Amino acid sequence: MTQDNEPYIALGGIRKAYRIGGEMIPIFTGLDLTIPRGDFVAVMGPSGSGKSTLLNMLAGIDRPDGGTLRIGTSHLDQMGEAARAGWRAHNMGIVFQFYNLLPMLTAAENVELPLLLKPLTRKERRLRVERVLDLVGLSGREKQYPALMSGGQQQRVGIARAIVSDPGLLLCDEPTGDLDRKSADEVLEMLRFLNRQLEKTIIMVTHDPQAALYARRTLHLDKGDFIEEKRAA
Amino acid sequence: MTFFDLARKNAWRKPLRTVLLMISIAVAFLIYGLTASFLNGTQGAAGASDDLLGVTSASGRTQPLPIAAMSRITADPDVAAAGYVARLRGFVDVEKNVVAISAADPGLLMAVNGKELGLTSALIDAIGQARDKVLVGRALAEAQGWITGQRVTITAFDTPRQDGSRDWRFEVAGIFEGENAATDTYFMVARYDYVNAARVRGKDTVDAFVVRPRAGVSPGELAARIDTLFSNSATPTRTQSERQFLEAFLRQYADIGLIVNLVVGAAFVTLLMIVVNTMVFAVRERTFEIGVLKTLGFSRLDIVALFLGETLFVFVVGGGIGLALAKLAATLAGPALGLVFFTPVLVKALAIIAALGLATGVLPAFNAMRIPIITAFRTR
Repeated sequence: MTQDNEPYIALGGIRKAYRIGGEMIPIFTGLDLTIPRGDFVAVMGPSGSGKSTLLNMLAGIDRPDGGTLRIGTSHLDQMGEAARAGWRAHNMGIVFQFYNLLPMLTAAENVELPLLLKPLTRKERRLRVERVLDLVGLSGREKQYPALMSGGQQQRVGIARAIVSDPGLLLCDEPTGDLDRKSADEVLEMLRFLNRQLEKTIIMVTHDPQAALYARRTLHLDKGDFIEEKRAA
Repeated sequence: MTFFDLARKNAWRKPLRTVLLMISIAVAFLIYGLTASFLNGTQGAAGASDDLLGVTSASGRTQPLPIAAMSRITADPDVAAAGYVARLRGFVDVEKNVVAISAADPGLLMAVNGKELGLTSALIDAIGQARDKVLVGRALAEAQGWITGQRVTITAFDTPRQDGSRDWRFEVAGIFEGENAATDTYFMVARYDYVNAARVRGKDTVDAFVVRPRAGVSPGELAARIDTLFSNSATPTRTQSERQFLEAFLRQYADIGLIVNLVVGAAFVTLLMIVVNTMVFAVRERTFEIGVLKTLGFSRLDIVALFLGETLFVFVVGGGIGLALAKLAATLAGPALGLVFFTPVLVKALAIIAALGLATGVLPAFNAMRIPIITAFRTR
């Protein structure tokens, strides 16, 4: 367990570079960041500023070249691939811009996917799926396939899939980037509800200033470092 | 939903492709089932013994030997046990439904190769109850649908009875299983005293003596000594081991087993390539989704299990259909074509299904397992 005064997420001196055309392009050269438990952070910045790279590292799907990356008690920078996969299964949910639902599975089956990795009975899985689908306002649509749902509905399925394992951390990669304003606001209200009522720590990458208003604070990333921080009123 | 459901749903994403794959697998296992059934129904060389010696006429195996020669054979101190067999060939209902009968002294048969045939003292007691009782091999009983207590009629091709009829009526006293799956059990054992008394020709003759050498005695040397014993008699003999005899007999036609194995092997190798190729494409098509699954927490082993489950599912369904068709064909046309589809064929086929299902899934699963998430996400 982390101490109460310790940040939930702590990045220290993160370095990351990509080789492009034989040349190493640095993304981060010493990024520091701390996020307390229960925060809702929007990360904004121009393309190429490192938003996605940051999110990928927080999700444990990319590793920093150097520095430390701790979430809760897990030091992701020191974990191998199998350990990070296990960590993701139990500690993190992710919401994608394009939902990334599996087309051959129904809404309920898509939501159930992360639960296949947990030692739960079929009945326990079904109850959990029903509960989160109800939470995102999709009761009665369990058997609907993604192709027959609107973008907003698909994104709500995506959110249900992200929270069905009850993770402490929710990572959102442009969750409203493919939605109209009304649907986007519904999804953002949902995220705010998850943050305020269920105390999920949320980190949301977005280009949309309107979306960022839903967060408790907004970090602006440019050229691999945070240049501005705004706190919600 | 379970892991298997997920694999199954993945398999059905391209229904036409999956159905075509299943059909090709079904055809391969139909070929396998039919050829294996054919080998079972017509050959028993694999289960034949090297130790048992068969003594037949040197003029040809269809030439009879006098039963009196038995005492000269058993006089050799290296003979542990000996029996004799008179063979009848006939059919049930239709001429193509050929059945072989070995008329023997049950007690002697038990002593000489009861172990190989899977004879028990209960079976010997049962056949001893009446002269028209017979013991039926498992393969023959399954093919004909015979059960213990059933009365059966065999119409002999060339062994008429004294009453002018060629119909031999028997009652099934029991079913012998054979020592193992390779033992030929596609024949029945009748009592020599009954057949010998009722037949018109060839009385007091046998087609072969069966000899078991004492432990430690070279079967080859004993065979040579027996042949020497009768070399200057009216009926010179030729003594071979059971395996030599059967293999020589089958080689008169061709090495059927080798041909069958080559055909089936070619079918399976082709199948392997088709399925591996298809599944490798499937992995490529789903690279992005593999990235999504890994992001959700699916480990490399989970991904491997998913793809292996998918190929296994395709093989189990396709193979199951093929084997069911082979069983149907063996049931409908088995007696006419000499097809015997019984449990060992099924067990071996299931093992091949599992092995091929896993083998074809390994490369695609390995490819899927190795895809880094970041690379997977770049494919969209």
